[in-house]
Amino acid sequence: MLWTATGLRAQTNAPILSGGVQFLSSTVGGNTFFQPAIAPVLVVPLGEHWLVESRADLRGFISHENGSSGPYSGQFIASLEYLQLDYIANSHVTVTVGRFLTPFNIYDERFTPFWIRDLQDAPIIFPIGTRTSGSNNGLMFRGVIAARKAWEVNYTAYFSVLSTTENLQSGRTAGGRMGVFFPLAGAEVGVSYQRFLQDVNYNSVGAYFTWQPPPIPLDVRSEYAHSPAGQGYWLEAAYHFSKSRGDTSRLGRLQGVARIQQFFKGTPTPGADLPLVDVNRFDFGLNYYLPHDVRVNGSYGRQYSSAGNANVWDAQISYRFLFPALPGVFK
Amino acid sequence: MKITLFAASALALFAICANVSGQSQTPAPPAAKKQAAAKSTTADQDQKEGERRFRANCGRCHNPPESISPTEVNAVLRHMRVRAMLSAEDEELIRKYLAP
Repeated sequence: MLWTATGLRAQTNAPILSGGVQFLSSTVGGNTFFQPAIAPVLVVPLGEHWLVESRADLRGFISHENGSSGPYSGQFIASLEYLQLDYIANSHVTVTVGRFLTPFNIYDERFTPFWIRDLQDAPIIFPIGTRTSGSNNGLMFRGVIAARKAWEVNYTAYFSVLSTTENLQSGRTAGGRMGVFFPLAGAEVGVSYQRFLQDVNYNSVGAYFTWQPPPIPLDVRSEYAHSPAGQGYWLEAAYHFSKSRGDTSRLGRLQGVARIQQFFKGTPTPGADLPLVDVNRFDFGLNYYLPHDVRVNGSYGRQYSSAGNANVWDAQISYRFLFPALPGVFK
Repeated sequence: MKITLFAASALALFAICANVSGQSQTPAPPAAKKQAAAKSTTADQDQKEGERRFRANCGRCHNPPESISPTEVNAVLRHMRVRAMLSAEDEELIRKYLAP
Protein backbone atom coordinates (compact mmCIF):
# COMPACT_ATOMS: atom_id res chain seq x y z
CA MET A 1 0.00 0.00 0.00
CA LEU A 2 2.79 2.39 0.98
CA TRP A 3 4.67 1.43 -2.18
CA THR A 4 1.58 2.19 -4.26
CA ALA A 5 1.14 5.60 -2.64
CA THR A 6 4.79 6.47 -3.21
CA GLY A 7 4.54 5.24 -6.78
CA LEU A 8 1.54 7.43 -7.43
CA ARG A 9 3.24 10.49 -5.96
CA ALA A 10 6.31 9.84 -8.08
CA GLN A 11 4.14 9.45 -11.17
CA THR A 12 2.41 12.73 -10.39
CA ASN A 13 5.66 14.66 -10.48
CA ALA A 14 7.45 12.91 -13.34
CA PRO A 15 9.01 15.56 -15.62
CA ILE A 16 8.81 15.18 -19.38
CA LEU A 17 10.96 16.19 -22.30
CA SER A 18 8.97 16.93 -25.42
CA GLY A 19 9.32 19.05 -28.52
CA GLY A 20 10.23 18.67 -32.15
CA VAL A 21 13.02 18.22 -34.66
CA GLN A 22 12.77 19.50 -38.21
CA PHE A 23 14.51 20.03 -41.49
CA LEU A 24 13.01 22.88 -43.48
CA SER A 25 13.88 23.95 -46.98
CA SER A 26 12.56 27.33 -48.14
CA THR A 27 12.89 29.02 -51.49
CA VAL A 28 11.88 32.67 -51.49
CA GLY A 29 12.11 34.54 -54.77
CA GLY A 30 14.69 32.05 -56.08
CA ASN A 31 16.90 32.08 -52.96
CA THR A 32 17.00 28.78 -51.14
CA PHE A 33 17.90 28.28 -47.51
CA PHE A 34 17.75 25.38 -45.10
CA GLN A 35 16.84 25.33 -41.45
CA PRO A 36 17.58 22.23 -39.39
CA ALA A 37 16.18 22.83 -35.91
CA ILE A 38 15.40 21.26 -32.60
CA ALA A 39 13.02 22.75 -30.06
CA PRO A 40 13.07 20.90 -26.75
CA VAL A 41 10.24 21.48 -24.29
CA LEU A 42 10.87 20.65 -20.63
CA VAL A 43 7.96 20.34 -18.21
CA VAL A 44 8.59 19.79 -14.50
CA PRO A 45 5.56 19.56 -12.21
CA LEU A 46 6.35 20.48 -8.61
CA GLY A 47 3.74 19.35 -6.12
CA GLU A 48 0.07 20.01 -6.73
CA HIS A 49 0.18 23.64 -7.84
CA TRP A 50 3.59 24.47 -9.24
CA LEU A 51 5.06 23.93 -12.65
CA VAL A 52 8.31 24.85 -14.39
CA GLU A 53 8.16 24.82 -18.19
CA SER A 54 10.63 25.82 -20.82
CA ARG A 55 11.12 25.77 -24.58
CA ALA A 56 14.27 26.58 -26.49
CA ASP A 57 14.83 26.84 -30.22
CA LEU A 58 18.19 25.81 -31.63
CA ARG A 59 18.52 26.12 -35.38
CA GLY A 60 20.97 26.39 -38.17
CA PHE A 61 20.43 28.81 -41.03
CA ILE A 62 22.18 27.60 -44.17
CA SER A 63 22.12 29.57 -47.42
CA HIS A 64 24.20 30.49 -50.46
CA GLU A 65 26.71 33.22 -49.65
CA ASN A 66 25.52 35.28 -52.63
CA GLY A 67 21.82 34.69 -52.33
CA SER A 68 21.15 32.16 -55.06
CA SER A 69 24.72 31.22 -55.97
CA GLY A 70 28.12 30.61 -54.44
CA PRO A 71 29.12 28.25 -51.67
CA TYR A 72 26.80 27.56 -48.78
CA SER A 73 27.45 29.17 -45.43
CA GLY A 74 25.62 28.74 -42.18
CA GLN A 75 25.01 30.31 -38.86
CA PHE A 76 23.65 28.95 -35.62
CA ILE A 77 20.78 30.68 -33.85
CA ALA A 78 19.66 29.80 -30.32
CA SER A 79 16.85 31.36 -28.37
CA LEU A 80 15.04 30.65 -25.16
CA GLU A 81 11.37 31.07 -26.00
CA TYR A 82 10.07 30.55 -22.51
CA LEU A 83 11.29 29.56 -19.09
CA GLN A 84 8.55 30.15 -16.62
CA LEU A 85 7.42 29.22 -13.16
CA ASP A 86 3.65 28.79 -12.90
CA TYR A 87 1.54 28.75 -9.78
CA ILE A 88 -1.85 27.26 -10.56
CA ALA A 89 -3.95 28.74 -7.76
CA ASN A 90 -7.26 27.48 -9.19
CA SER A 91 -9.18 27.43 -12.47
CA HIS A 92 -9.51 31.21 -12.37
CA VAL A 93 -5.91 32.24 -11.71
CA THR A 94 -2.51 31.00 -12.74
CA VAL A 95 0.40 33.27 -11.87
CA THR A 96 3.43 33.05 -14.13
CA VAL A 97 6.80 34.60 -13.51
CA GLY A 98 9.83 34.42 -15.78
CA ARG A 99 10.09 34.44 -19.56
CA PHE A 100 6.88 33.63 -21.40
CA LEU A 101 5.41 33.81 -24.90
CA THR A 102 3.61 37.09 -25.52
CA PRO A 103 -0.12 36.48 -25.21
CA PHE A 104 -1.16 38.73 -28.09
CA ASN A 105 -3.82 37.12 -30.28
CA ILE A 106 -3.21 33.37 -30.69
CA TYR A 107 -0.41 32.67 -33.15
CA ASP A 108 2.55 33.24 -30.83
CA GLU A 109 1.29 31.12 -27.95
CA ARG A 110 -0.40 28.34 -29.91
CA PHE A 111 1.17 27.98 -33.34
CA THR A 112 4.85 28.85 -33.12
CA PRO A 113 5.95 25.21 -32.55
CA PHE A 114 6.98 24.04 -36.02
CA TRP A 115 5.48 20.59 -35.43
CA ILE A 116 2.07 22.17 -34.79
CA ARG A 117 1.66 24.99 -37.30
CA ASP A 118 0.04 24.02 -40.57
CA LEU A 119 2.10 26.40 -42.74
CA GLN A 120 5.73 27.01 -41.87
CA ASP A 121 5.89 30.76 -42.59
CA ALA A 122 4.56 32.96 -39.81
CA PRO A 123 1.89 35.47 -40.83
CA ILE A 124 3.08 38.91 -41.96
CA ILE A 125 1.36 40.61 -39.00
CA PHE A 126 3.06 38.33 -36.45
CA PRO A 127 5.44 41.10 -35.20
CA ILE A 128 2.46 43.29 -34.22
CA GLY A 129 1.93 43.03 -30.48
CA THR A 130 4.81 40.58 -30.00
CA ARG A 131 7.75 43.02 -29.93
CA THR A 132 10.55 42.56 -29.45
CA SER A 133 11.16 38.82 -29.69
CA GLY A 134 7.78 37.13 -29.28
CA SER A 135 8.67 36.56 -25.62
CA ASN A 136 8.46 38.73 -22.53
CA ASN A 137 10.29 38.71 -19.22
CA GLY A 138 7.96 39.57 -16.39
CA LEU A 139 4.76 38.62 -14.65
CA MET A 140 1.56 37.21 -16.12
CA PHE A 141 -1.87 36.29 -14.79
CA ARG A 142 -4.19 34.02 -16.75
CA GLY A 143 -7.20 31.82 -16.26
CA VAL A 144 -10.89 31.36 -16.83
CA ILE A 145 -13.17 34.07 -15.45
CA ALA A 146 -16.38 32.09 -15.78
CA ALA A 147 -17.35 28.83 -17.45
CA ARG A 148 -20.62 27.14 -18.35
CA LYS A 149 -21.23 24.09 -20.51
CA ALA A 150 -21.75 26.21 -23.64
CA TRP A 151 -19.20 28.99 -23.08
CA GLU A 152 -16.20 30.12 -21.09
CA VAL A 153 -14.47 33.47 -20.77
CA ASN A 154 -10.68 33.41 -20.47
CA TYR A 155 -8.17 36.16 -19.88
CA THR A 156 -4.46 36.93 -19.79
CA ALA A 157 -2.79 40.05 -18.38
CA TYR A 158 0.93 40.73 -18.17
CA PHE A 159 3.70 43.23 -17.66
CA SER A 160 7.24 42.79 -18.89
CA VAL A 161 10.56 44.55 -18.47
CA LEU A 162 13.21 45.59 -20.95
CA SER A 163 15.98 43.10 -21.54
CA THR A 164 18.73 43.39 -24.13
CA THR A 165 20.58 40.25 -23.03
CA GLU A 166 21.38 38.07 -26.02
CA ASN A 167 18.80 35.31 -26.56
CA LEU A 168 16.65 36.78 -23.79
CA GLN A 169 15.46 39.99 -25.46
CA SER A 170 12.24 41.45 -24.16
CA GLY A 171 10.43 44.76 -24.50
CA ARG A 172 8.99 46.88 -21.72
CA THR A 173 5.32 46.29 -22.37
CA ALA A 174 1.98 45.72 -20.73
CA GLY A 175 -1.03 44.07 -22.25
CA GLY A 176 -3.63 41.40 -22.18
CA ARG A 177 -6.08 39.25 -24.05
CA MET A 178 -9.65 38.24 -23.46
CA GLY A 179 -11.46 35.46 -25.27
CA VAL A 180 -14.78 33.67 -25.25
CA PHE A 181 -14.70 29.97 -26.10
CA PHE A 182 -17.82 28.09 -27.16
CA PRO A 183 -16.86 24.41 -26.74
CA LEU A 184 -20.08 22.96 -28.18
CA ALA A 185 -19.75 25.03 -31.34
CA GLY A 186 -15.96 24.63 -31.41
CA ALA A 187 -15.52 28.39 -31.80
CA GLU A 188 -13.50 31.05 -30.03
CA VAL A 189 -13.34 34.82 -30.45
CA GLY A 190 -11.09 37.23 -28.62
CA VAL A 191 -9.34 40.57 -28.52
CA SER A 192 -5.81 41.61 -27.54
CA TYR A 193 -4.12 44.79 -26.46
CA GLN A 194 -0.49 45.76 -25.91
CA ARG A 195 1.11 49.03 -24.84
CA PHE A 196 4.74 49.33 -25.86
CA LEU A 197 6.39 51.31 -23.07
CA GLN A 198 9.89 52.09 -24.27
CA ASP A 199 11.31 54.48 -26.87
CA VAL A 200 8.15 55.62 -28.65
CA ASN A 201 5.12 54.46 -26.68
CA TYR A 202 2.28 53.09 -28.79
CA ASN A 203 -0.67 50.73 -28.74
CA SER A 204 -1.21 47.52 -30.67
CA VAL A 205 -4.63 45.94 -30.82
CA GLY A 206 -5.78 42.66 -32.24
CA ALA A 207 -8.70 40.30 -32.65
CA TYR A 208 -8.89 36.60 -33.44
CA PHE A 209 -11.35 33.91 -34.36
CA THR A 210 -11.08 30.11 -34.49
CA TRP A 211 -13.70 27.57 -35.50
CA GLN A 212 -13.70 23.79 -35.58
CA PRO A 213 -17.20 22.69 -36.55
CA PRO A 214 -17.52 19.54 -34.37
CA PRO A 215 -18.59 16.99 -37.01
CA ILE A 216 -16.05 18.14 -39.63
CA PRO A 217 -12.20 17.86 -39.35
CA LEU A 218 -11.85 21.48 -40.44
CA ASP A 219 -9.83 24.20 -38.68
CA VAL A 220 -10.59 27.80 -39.50
CA ARG A 221 -8.37 30.44 -37.91
CA SER A 222 -8.01 34.13 -38.38
CA GLU A 223 -6.28 37.11 -36.81
CA TYR A 224 -6.42 40.84 -37.30
CA ALA A 225 -3.81 43.19 -35.81
CA HIS A 226 -3.22 46.92 -35.90
CA SER A 227 -0.29 49.09 -34.84
CA PRO A 228 0.99 52.48 -36.03
CA ALA A 229 3.49 50.59 -38.23
CA GLY A 230 0.73 48.84 -40.15
CA GLN A 231 -2.27 46.59 -39.98
CA GLY A 232 -3.45 43.40 -41.58
CA TYR A 233 -5.15 40.07 -41.24
CA TRP A 234 -4.78 36.43 -42.16
CA LEU A 235 -7.37 33.73 -42.64
CA GLU A 236 -6.42 30.05 -42.73
CA ALA A 237 -8.44 26.90 -43.31
CA ALA A 238 -7.12 23.36 -42.93
CA TYR A 239 -9.09 20.23 -43.79
CA HIS A 240 -8.03 16.79 -42.57
CA PHE A 241 -9.19 14.04 -44.93
CA SER A 242 -9.87 11.73 -41.99
CA LYS A 243 -13.66 11.95 -42.21
CA SER A 244 -14.18 9.33 -44.89
CA ARG A 245 -11.73 6.55 -43.93
CA GLY A 246 -10.38 7.37 -40.46
CA ASP A 247 -7.19 8.99 -39.16
CA THR A 248 -4.88 6.12 -40.05
CA SER A 249 -5.95 5.47 -43.63
CA ARG A 250 -3.66 6.68 -46.41
CA LEU A 251 -6.06 9.45 -47.32
CA GLY A 252 -6.96 10.14 -43.69
CA ARG A 253 -3.37 11.14 -42.91
CA LEU A 254 -3.54 13.98 -45.41
CA GLN A 255 -4.41 17.56 -44.57
CA GLY A 256 -4.87 20.39 -47.04
CA VAL A 257 -4.24 23.98 -45.96
CA ALA A 258 -4.92 27.37 -47.52
CA ARG A 259 -4.22 30.84 -46.16
CA ILE A 260 -4.76 34.36 -47.45
CA GLN A 261 -3.33 37.47 -45.88
CA GLN A 262 -3.16 41.18 -46.48
CA PHE A 263 -0.95 43.81 -44.90
CA PHE A 264 -1.36 47.55 -45.16
CA LYS A 265 1.66 49.69 -44.29
CA GLY A 266 1.51 52.40 -41.65
CA THR A 267 4.06 54.87 -40.32
CA PRO A 268 7.55 53.38 -40.56
CA THR A 269 8.59 52.46 -37.00
CA PRO A 270 12.16 51.37 -36.16
CA GLY A 271 12.22 47.85 -34.79
CA ALA A 272 8.64 47.08 -35.82
CA ASP A 273 9.89 44.33 -38.18
CA LEU A 274 7.01 44.91 -40.61
CA PRO A 275 7.04 45.46 -44.40
CA LEU A 276 7.35 49.07 -45.55
CA VAL A 277 4.92 48.42 -48.43
CA ASP A 278 1.48 46.87 -48.77
CA VAL A 279 1.63 43.10 -49.21
CA ASN A 280 -0.91 40.53 -50.38
CA ARG A 281 -0.16 36.85 -50.14
CA PHE A 282 -1.77 33.44 -50.49
CA ASP A 283 -0.42 30.00 -49.57
CA PHE A 284 -1.52 26.44 -50.28
CA GLY A 285 -0.03 23.45 -48.52
CA LEU A 286 -0.32 19.74 -47.87
CA ASN A 287 0.58 18.04 -44.60
CA TYR A 288 0.97 14.29 -44.37
CA TYR A 289 0.91 12.74 -40.89
CA LEU A 290 3.04 9.60 -40.88
CA PRO A 291 3.10 7.08 -38.02
CA HIS A 292 5.29 7.80 -34.98
CA ASP A 293 4.52 11.53 -34.98
CA VAL A 294 6.48 12.25 -38.14
CA ARG A 295 5.00 14.83 -40.49
CA VAL A 296 6.03 15.88 -43.97
CA ASN A 297 4.64 18.93 -45.64
CA GLY A 298 5.03 21.17 -48.60
CA SER A 299 3.53 24.50 -49.50
CA TYR A 300 3.50 27.09 -52.23
CA GLY A 301 2.85 30.76 -51.69
CA ARG A 302 2.76 33.82 -53.87
CA GLN A 303 3.49 37.25 -52.47
CA TYR A 304 2.46 40.48 -54.21
CA SER A 305 3.90 43.85 -53.25
CA SER A 306 5.21 47.01 -54.87
CA ALA A 307 8.69 45.89 -53.79
CA GLY A 308 8.36 42.90 -56.13
CA ASN A 309 6.33 39.72 -56.39
CA ALA A 310 7.82 36.44 -55.24
CA ASN A 311 7.09 32.73 -55.09
CA VAL A 312 7.64 31.00 -51.76
CA TRP A 313 8.20 27.24 -51.66
CA ASP A 314 8.53 25.37 -48.37
CA ALA A 315 9.22 21.69 -47.73
CA GLN A 316 9.60 20.28 -44.24
CA ILE A 317 9.92 17.06 -42.35
CA SER A 318 9.38 17.15 -38.62
CA TYR A 319 9.23 14.71 -35.76
CA ARG A 320 7.48 15.37 -32.49
CA PHE A 321 8.95 13.59 -29.50
CA LEU A 322 7.70 13.01 -25.97
CA PHE A 323 9.34 10.96 -23.27
CA PRO A 324 10.06 11.03 -19.53
CA ALA A 325 12.89 13.44 -18.70
CA LEU A 326 14.26 11.13 -16.01
CA PRO A 327 13.53 7.60 -17.23
CA GLY A 328 13.87 5.00 -14.53
CA VAL A 329 13.55 7.50 -11.67
CA PHE A 330 9.79 7.84 -11.89
CA LYS A 331 7.60 4.76 -12.34
CA MET B 1 -21.11 -43.79 -38.22
CA LYS B 2 -18.15 -43.97 -35.86
CA ILE B 3 -17.28 -40.35 -36.58
CA THR B 4 -20.87 -39.22 -35.95
CA LEU B 5 -20.95 -41.08 -32.64
CA PHE B 6 -17.62 -39.58 -31.60
CA ALA B 7 -18.74 -36.08 -32.50
CA ALA B 8 -22.02 -36.49 -30.62
CA SER B 9 -20.16 -37.76 -27.51
CA ALA B 10 -17.70 -34.88 -27.70
CA LEU B 11 -20.54 -32.36 -27.98
CA ALA B 12 -22.34 -33.93 -25.04
CA LEU B 13 -19.18 -33.88 -22.94
CA PHE B 14 -18.55 -30.24 -23.85
CA ALA B 15 -22.15 -29.34 -22.93
CA ILE B 16 -21.84 -31.09 -19.56
CA CYS B 17 -18.49 -29.41 -18.79
CA ALA B 18 -19.83 -26.01 -19.78
CA ASN B 19 -22.87 -26.47 -17.59
CA VAL B 20 -20.80 -27.65 -14.63
CA SER B 21 -18.31 -24.82 -14.91
CA GLY B 22 -21.19 -22.35 -15.21
CA GLN B 23 -22.79 -23.77 -12.06
CA SER B 24 -19.53 -23.78 -10.15
CA GLN B 25 -19.26 -19.98 -10.36
CA THR B 26 -20.80 -18.19 -7.42
CA PRO B 27 -23.44 -15.87 -8.82
CA ALA B 28 -22.78 -12.21 -7.91
CA PRO B 29 -25.41 -10.67 -5.68
CA PRO B 30 -27.77 -8.46 -7.71
CA ALA B 31 -26.79 -5.33 -5.69
CA ALA B 32 -23.07 -5.83 -6.39
CA LYS B 33 -23.82 -6.44 -10.08
CA LYS B 34 -25.84 -3.22 -10.23
CA GLN B 35 -23.07 -1.27 -8.45
CA ALA B 36 -20.39 -2.61 -10.79
CA ALA B 37 -22.52 -1.79 -13.83
CA ALA B 38 -23.16 1.75 -12.53
CA LYS B 39 -19.44 2.24 -11.86
CA SER B 40 -18.55 1.06 -15.34
CA THR B 41 -21.20 3.32 -16.89
CA THR B 42 -19.88 6.35 -14.95
CA ALA B 43 -16.31 5.55 -16.00
CA ASP B 44 -17.42 5.23 -19.62
CA GLN B 45 -19.29 8.51 -19.44
CA ASP B 46 -16.28 10.24 -17.87
CA GLN B 47 -14.03 8.89 -20.61
CA LYS B 48 -16.42 10.07 -23.31
CA GLU B 49 -16.67 13.49 -21.72
CA GLY B 50 -12.87 13.52 -21.35
CA GLU B 51 -12.50 12.77 -25.05
CA ARG B 52 -14.95 15.53 -25.93
CA ARG B 53 -13.04 18.03 -23.80
CA PHE B 54 -9.73 16.86 -25.21
CA ARG B 55 -10.98 17.45 -28.75
CA ALA B 56 -12.55 20.79 -27.83
CA ASN B 57 -9.58 22.18 -25.88
CA CYS B 58 -6.38 20.47 -27.02
CA GLY B 59 -7.59 19.67 -30.55
CA ARG B 60 -8.08 23.36 -31.20
CA CYS B 61 -4.35 23.65 -31.88
CA HIS B 62 -2.81 20.25 -32.48
CA ASN B 63 -3.32 16.55 -33.09
CA PRO B 64 -2.78 14.33 -30.08
CA PRO B 65 0.63 12.61 -29.81
CA GLU B 66 0.47 9.03 -31.01
CA SER B 67 0.97 7.70 -27.50
CA ILE B 68 1.27 9.10 -24.00
CA SER B 69 2.45 6.76 -21.26
CA PRO B 70 0.80 6.91 -17.82
CA THR B 71 4.07 8.35 -16.43
CA GLU B 72 3.87 11.29 -18.83
CA VAL B 73 0.18 12.09 -18.56
CA ASN B 74 0.35 14.28 -15.48
CA ALA B 75 3.09 16.57 -16.80
CA VAL B 76 1.38 16.82 -20.20
CA LEU B 77 -1.91 17.78 -18.56
CA ARG B 78 -0.33 20.27 -16.18
CA HIS B 79 1.45 21.87 -19.14
CA MET B 80 -1.82 22.05 -21.10
CA ARG B 81 -3.69 23.33 -18.08
CA VAL B 82 -1.56 26.47 -18.19
CA ARG B 83 -1.32 26.76 -22.00
CA ALA B 84 -4.95 25.98 -22.85
CA MET B 85 -6.36 27.34 -19.58
CA LEU B 86 -8.04 24.09 -18.67
CA SER B 87 -10.14 23.95 -15.54
CA ALA B 88 -9.42 21.42 -12.79
CA GLU B 89 -12.47 19.47 -14.01
CA ASP B 90 -11.20 19.49 -17.62
CA GLU B 91 -7.84 18.19 -16.40
CA GLU B 92 -9.43 15.36 -14.43
CA LEU B 93 -11.75 14.24 -17.23
CA ILE B 94 -9.04 14.42 -19.90
CA ARG B 95 -6.79 12.36 -17.59
CA LYS B 96 -9.52 9.67 -17.49
CA TYR B 97 -9.60 9.70 -21.28
CA LEU B 98 -5.81 9.60 -21.78
CA ALA B 99 -4.95 7.22 -18.94
CA PRO B 100 -8.13 5.29 -18.04
